Amino acid sequence: MKKNILSITALSVLVVVFGGCTKLDETIYDRIPADQFVPTEKDIPSLIAPVYTNLRPMHASWHGNFDLQEESADIIVTPVRPNGWFDGGTYQRMHEHKWNPVQSQPNNLWAASYRGINLANRLIFQIESGAIPVSTGKENLVAEMKAARAYYYYMLLDNHGNVPIVTDYQDVSLPKQSTRQQVYDFVVKEFTDNIPLLSDKADKLTYGRFNRWAAKGILAKVYLNAGVYTGTPQWDKCIAECNDIIAAAPGRYILEPDYKSPFRTENQNSKELILAVPYDEILATEFNMHMKSLDPVQQAVFSMSAQPWGGSAAVPQFINTYDPDDSRLKDTWIWGPQINATTGAVAINYTKHLNGIALSGSDQGYRMAKYEIKQGARAALSVDYPLVRYADVLMMKAESLLRTGKADEAADIVSQVRERAFRNNSAKAKVTGAQLQMGSSYQYGYYNTNGSISELQGGADIPFGRFLDELGWEFAAEGRRRQDIIRFGVFSTKIWFNHRPAAATRQLFPIHENEIIKNPNLKQNPGY
Amino acid sequence: MNKVLTLLLAFLFLSLQHLSAQNKTITGVVRNAAGEPLSGATINGKGSTIATTSDAAGKFSISLPAQTRSLEVSYVGMSTMEVDVSGKTSVEISLKSGPANLDEVVVVGYGTQKRGEVTSAVASVKAEDFTQGFARDAAQLIQGKVAGISVATTSGNPNANTQISLRGANSINGSSTPLILIDGVPGGLNTVPPEDIESIDVLKDGSAAAIYGTRGTNGVILITTKKRRGGNRPATMNYTGYVSVQQIARKMEFLNADDYRRLISEGVRGFNQNINPNAPGYSNLSGTNDEFGATTDWFDEITRTPISHTHNLTLQGGNAQTSYTASLNYRTWQGIFLRSDNSQVVGRLDINHAMFDNKLKFNFNAINRSRKAFDLSYNNTYRQALIRNPTEPIKTPTGAWYERSVYMYDNPLRRIEETESENKGSEMRLNGSVTFTPLKDLNFKLLVSDVKNNGLTGYYETFNHRTSVDANRPGTASRSASLSRDQLLEFTTDYSRTMNDHRFSVLGGYSYQYSVDEGFSANNSNFTSDLFGWNRLESGDALAYLNTNAPYGSIGMNSDKEDWKLIGFFGRVNYSFKEKYMLMASMRHEGSSKFGKNHKWGQFPAISAGWRINREDFMKNVDFVNDLKLRVGYGITGTIPNSSYLSPDLYNLGGRMLYNGIFIQSIQPGSNPNPELRWEKKLEWNFGVDFSVLKNRISGSVDYYRRDTKDMLYQFSVPVPPYLFPTIWWNAGTMSNKGLEVLLNINPVKSKDFNWHTTLTFAANSNKLVSLTGPPGSSVLTFFTAGGTGEPIQESTHRNYIGEPIGSFFGYKTIDIAADSTWIIEGSDGKPKSLRNSTPSDKQILGNGVPKYIVGMNNTFTYRKWDLNINLRGALGYQIMNFQRMFYENPKINQYNMLKTAFDPVYGKTPIYADLAYVSYYMEQGDHVKLDNVSLGYTFNVKNSKLFKGARVYVAGLNLYTFTGYKGVDPEVNRVGLSPGLDERDKYPTTRTFTFGTNINF
Repeated sequence: MKKNILSITALSVLVVVFGGCTKLDETIYDRIPADQFVPTEKDIPSLIAPVYTNLRPMHASWHGNFDLQEESADIIVTPVRPNGWFDGGTYQRMHEHKWNPVQSQPNNLWAASYRGINLANRLIFQIESGAIPVSTGKENLVAEMKAARAYYYYMLLDNHGNVPIVTDYQDVSLPKQSTRQQVYDFVVKEFTDNIPLLSDKADKLTYGRFNRWAAKGILAKVYLNAGVYTGTPQWDKCIAECNDIIAAAPGRYILEPDYKSPFRTENQNSKELILAVPYDEILATEFNMHMKSLDPVQQAVFSMSAQPWGGSAAVPQFINTYDPDDSRLKDTWIWGPQINATTGAVAINYTKHLNGIALSGSDQGYRMAKYEIKQGARAALSVDYPLVRYADVLMMKAESLLRTGKADEAADIVSQVRERAFRNNSAKAKVTGAQLQMGSSYQYGYYNTNGSISELQGGADIPFGRFLDELGWEFAAEGRRRQDIIRFGVFSTKIWFNHRPAAATRQLFPIHENEIIKNPNLKQNPGY
Repeated sequence: MNKVLTLLLAFLFLSLQHLSAQNKTITGVVRNAAGEPLSGATINGKGSTIATTSDAAGKFSISLPAQTRSLEVSYVGMSTMEVDVSGKTSVEISLKSGPANLDEVVVVGYGTQKRGEVTSAVASVKAEDFTQGFARDAAQLIQGKVAGISVATTSGNPNANTQISLRGANSINGSSTPLILIDGVPGGLNTVPPEDIESIDVLKDGSAAAIYGTRGTNGVILITTKKRRGGNRPATMNYTGYVSVQQIARKMEFLNADDYRRLISEGVRGFNQNINPNAPGYSNLSGTNDEFGATTDWFDEITRTPISHTHNLTLQGGNAQTSYTASLNYRTWQGIFLRSDNSQVVGRLDINHAMFDNKLKFNFNAINRSRKAFDLSYNNTYRQALIRNPTEPIKTPTGAWYERSVYMYDNPLRRIEETESENKGSEMRLNGSVTFTPLKDLNFKLLVSDVKNNGLTGYYETFNHRTSVDANRPGTASRSASLSRDQLLEFTTDYSRTMNDHRFSVLGGYSYQYSVDEGFSANNSNFTSDLFGWNRLESGDALAYLNTNAPYGSIGMNSDKEDWKLIGFFGRVNYSFKEKYMLMASMRHEGSSKFGKNHKWGQFPAISAGWRINREDFMKNVDFVNDLKLRVGYGITGTIPNSSYLSPDLYNLGGRMLYNGIFIQSIQPGSNPNPELRWEKKLEWNFGVDFSVLKNRISGSVDYYRRDTKDMLYQFSVPVPPYLFPTIWWNAGTMSNKGLEVLLNINPVKSKDFNWHTTLTFAANSNKLVSLTGPPGSSVLTFFTAGGTGEPIQESTHRNYIGEPIGSFFGYKTIDIAADSTWIIEGSDGKPKSLRNSTPSDKQILGNGVPKYIVGMNNTFTYRKWDLNINLRGALGYQIMNFQRMFYENPKINQYNMLKTAFDPVYGKTPIYADLAYVSYYMEQGDHVKLDNVSLGYTFNVKNSKLFKGARVYVAGLNLYTFTGYKGVDPEVNRVGLSPGLDERDKYPTTRTFTFGTNINF
């Protein structure tokens, strides 16, 4: 028995010794525990960065906003190719306006917008509460975050319309939906309140960020589309914002003499860019719109390090609207024989014609090359993606003037923008107020496999259709066509390529099924 | 010595008796019914701990206290016999074979138990019942032999492992792999070579596995390596070796060059651009299949008849105090694709030493495993061979690789020849234990182990690799290194006592496990010489920014580190009355670092009971029943998430932002914190009956179980805002599994020369996802999606609905083909409609990829010196999505080669000509029965040989024939996870293996 007692004692001792090892705290090596991270002022750039880097996957990336705005409109189409591009019909649904509540492109925009909003909310809270120490310019930094947040709400206003407004980071309740009018009012108020606090500089430090002029540029866009958003146009307010930018332009912004300058690989120095999303082929690699457009054989033409995927091309009817002397045609699209950079042989010869969305040849359709594809280009481009450029400000002002009866003033501005596109034929650069009030030259109608057009509608009946054409030539493939053709009444009425009109409710995208599941407060947009 | 010695293990845990001063020595010989000596039989003095084993000639010698009256002689597969030795010095023992050896010892958590006393669902497979011939890993040894375990060989890659799951899907987050313990220390299925394994025991139900707490949900597989235990015997040496050849299980029939030429001449659309240049789809350069003048069988070009060798040498020796087992295992395995290989050397040393009258016992075990493999993305290489135009030559007349610029279209032979790869790994396992036995039946055991896994890989694409040439980037090299270390300390105490009819045993213990993973990798490109491969990583121009094709920053570099801890306290009580009523109760209190601050610890209790009815008086006269036992058990086990750091609020690094002219690193929220994250628990009931009738000619067991998984971990989608991050780890749901398992051992023919023994296994499981509830405020999910087709279909494949089993295919149900060769589907209203006019609401559940029934049948025939094993196994009641047909049985993607069947009429009407689609037409019944393993062996008569103590040769075939209606390569496809049943398009095809092997004892 004595031995038993000894043994039990020994056991107890051992249990106590090993029992001491009961600590289960986690040691973290390659991430940063929030409760151990005390930010200092030098961390501020790194902390606000996500609000901006979030714009990259949102715009010129896979199923991003570029696709959302272009594939639902009349300039770019992604037909089935011999190597695929059916992808469960997603591109055909975009083209035919048959998207559904599980469509990825609108959902990507929703998710990216709210991600940006949430990041901004958290930063605003952290700066205001002092968790992130800011000794000078605290309210300016908060204003910048609020402007960025207002931009994300503008994206939602434009695409989904009726969305929840959340501004308080600490509010953990499930967000409640607002009307499109409420969202519009919120966006306008946020910009108006915060613009005075934003930097008025346009330099390296403000590049790619919300300075005063970037915010005004976006606000001008909100006003430009106010009629669509609320039923009440705000042309004069749009003109006022544009005028502010134009007045501030000297020393800051110009209309580049070369149309291509804002789209070059190293375009970060372009004075035309008021707001751009900076991309880099190595460090910020989300820009892959060229990969989605170029045929795989084009790899040998540009000596690319990656093989493009083939797919998107220009709608032939849109290409037909260009004046052959308009240099923007070749600055935006590539066509004809493409020469292998090593062998000199013709790698592929792109035709304007596309058989149709159901199946087109791999060599069919003009390809998007607006954003410079340099020799040796990679799977990602370094071109920064413009959200607001000076030409845009001029054209917004021109449209507002045109629509408020000042066609001649508008024509002067449009002529100014056209000048660089017709450098060898300056007479053609000039447009008149009367011309701008004419219809569009776009041969709206159903594009058949043999290239003929049936169900012809034309564009002559589109009010200020010529101005819409001008927007097309200047801003083709800049991820905005949907907004323009909605404003000009084309989106829900016209036939183009293999698209026939769908319900006007398609002017707003559906809220993704998963978002409604996650947040039962949300009601689906009408028509879905 | 090749025989199994498991029985002795039991006695190591029994009490030591003080040796009496007076001893007597008994010698003898053990034989089987046929009179052949049995080597390795256990001879134990009844009532003492003294034991020995018989040698190769069946002889033994044992020194026993004078008062010992009888010996217990046992041998695996034979009935244990008690032999009276009072007054004798020499005995001759003849053991009778008995399939239901109730005194056989099975390994259970932290100990062993006599099979007759087991009260939970455990299974044990000994070495002689293992699958013969080529075995990829430990799981393949018991494939089809344990009811309820599903082992699938889903890939033919020599570097791939088998896939193992037990009793259905019990978790949606965690893996389905059971906990695998190698002599008590966590490891993997391939940690020790199959040749080195003595027995594999499987703890199937919760009451058995709960002692392992958090790791036991998927069951526990206990691998016992070959050991020498006790006894003064001459040293033995055993050699096993085999050589195998393989062939693809079934070759998919693609168009060959003649087919191409015929289709071109017939003007079949897509096959000749000159036929109708203006018609839709043909008028392009690269969208058609053309004639390129050669005749190449691309599949033949990249494959070979692989030859694999395995050699194993085991040396065992020692005396009663110290014994050792040393083994060396070498293998070099080839895959069917050129250069695909895997070679491995495993050395193992196991030393046991006892001192102070066996009061102190030491065990030291070391395993060192070094492996080397050549691996590239064979899946894509296989695809390239399948889709390549068979009229293309391999090389141009000038000897350069022949290539065309087509989307994702590379010369497959070039991919293999112009790539260098070396994946090296080494695993060093050291473990040791000290057992102190101060009193009879009281043991203190301390076990420590240290397992280190090192990985080092090198990968290089030569100057002549297609990527290098196309991207003007001579040479791309990468190197990566990883280290993982797992340390374990376990202290256990056990005590047992028999008082009259009562027997108690008590176990208590503490376990501490710490695991850390670290890694580093780097890559560079644009080298000056092709000779360095990955050995001069710094010399690539991409690092030095010397040309535009290699800009600064295009090199890559990564490092990472993660660790976790697991601490447990556990105890168990076993009680048995007259070996008639048995009770087991256990509890584990366990904590993991991976959970939220408030919920690190969990409790995992278990209880089980058994009743041996045949020992009741009223059964005394029921002669045909040899054994009948009822078992019932209940136990709770847990699941730990796969990753660490799921609960804290973390910042992570994000993309770089252009700030003041330079791209700076951003910091952003990396997760949603959840301090409430807690254990996922599985509650399991198990009801079982073990029986043996007709003189043990028929025996078996039947188990019914019900498993309910609660607080199931799921990465929930949450709205942003208010959440910071779009997903959160949450204890979200419940799932249930119910099933029936039957094991039947039958000995239909038993005679002097001929013996036939058959084992049947059957398992049925039904799984149901019961609920999935997210954080407060969020909706209750009705389903979640899983799986994907990949491009160019880009659709999800599965929807796992609440109330339905995991693994439902969800998509359009095709019912017909339209005149224009496009699909007609069943609409949501039940009426036919064109797939083109479909809406998402037309999608429906099409089938399920998890087999409802798993069956197995093992037959062993022995005739004199010959033995024949025939194993059949199968899976029934499930569907497979045949991706090869989905992608390749459609002439519309006409720039790639396709299956010959692409031109077969669909629904007996017309061939399809439509965009690739995920539709039910490609879903097939997966039901199959495989003639899985047939081996024929011959044992030589070595009675007169001085050199040999035993010799056997055999031939074996693995995966020989499949009885199935399935049209793909092999119906044995992935069955686990959330998207089971997809026969992936580019899967490394499975093979049929033929083996010649030998087993020699010296």
